[in-house]
Amino acid sequence: MIFRRFLLLVFLAIMIQGCVVTRGTIGEPLQEEAVSGIKKGSTTMAEVVSSIGAPDRIIRGNDLDIFHYYYYDGKSPALLLILVNFIRMDIKSDNLYVFFNKSGIAEEVVYGKRTGRTQFRLWPFGD
Amino acid sequence: MTSVATHFPFIKLVVCAFCILLCAGCTVRRVVINDLVTLEQVSFIHVGQTTILELADHIGAPDEVTESEFGVVALYNWSDIKSSGLDFGAVARLFLPYAPTMSLNKTGITPEQFQVVFDPQWTVRAYGFSRRTTDDPVIWFWPF
Repeated sequence: MIFRRFLLLVFLAIMIQGCVVTRGTIGEPLQEEAVSGIKKGSTTMAEVVSSIGAPDRIIRGNDLDIFHYYYYDGKSPALLLILVNFIRMDIKSDNLYVFFNKSGIAEEVVYGKRTGRTQFRLWPFGD
Repeated sequence: MTSVATHFPFIKLVVCAFCILLCAGCTVRRVVINDLVTLEQVSFIHVGQTTILELADHIGAPDEVTESEFGVVALYNWSDIKSSGLDFGAVARLFLPYAPTMSLNKTGITPEQFQVVFDPQWTVRAYGFSRRTTDDPVIWFWPF
């Protein structure tokens, strides 16, 4: 029994040798409830800041102040063998833009979520 | 025929050794940033009609919004970075305590961008791709 366990352990050790799994993120994930809580024409700048936090960037465009929030998620598996190495990294981003008018009221919200589709994919070939 | 059958195990060994030598020191790296935006995906855009909200509904929120002389510009960025290398010294690792490095590497960084310019009413004024993907092979280590 002990010998079998030892063999299983050795087999597992051989199978996972050279495997590297890395994950990197930038920023904090955007909470869906906080995003859906922004009401056009009523939510103020202060309310947005208190529910989501300070923006990562503030842009000015078409006489509007635009708060930009972003979150990046990267997943990278790698197989480093004695002779062959495969490394792949998949990075995707979520972006939220809240457009404020001169009174500091949210006028428009643009939100896109891509990080849900980030995958640990090792095989570097194909799409 | 009999002669080939006799040498079959040896031929298999030679083929295996040749395959190992071919793969030896081969490194393939690929970094994919965001989703590719294709011409088909943006075919719904009509200048003077499509709004930023409709754009976000179809292809997601832009990665960057910036103001230019022509109006506000939304930028969608993506990239498919392919890198590969071949280290001819790797075979020596099988036999020698010291592995000399004799490698050829090539990396292709292709930042791509889809740009949309908006008028003051946030409808599309103009749009275009900064460049198009040239389908480079994943493995192409020859640097010259």
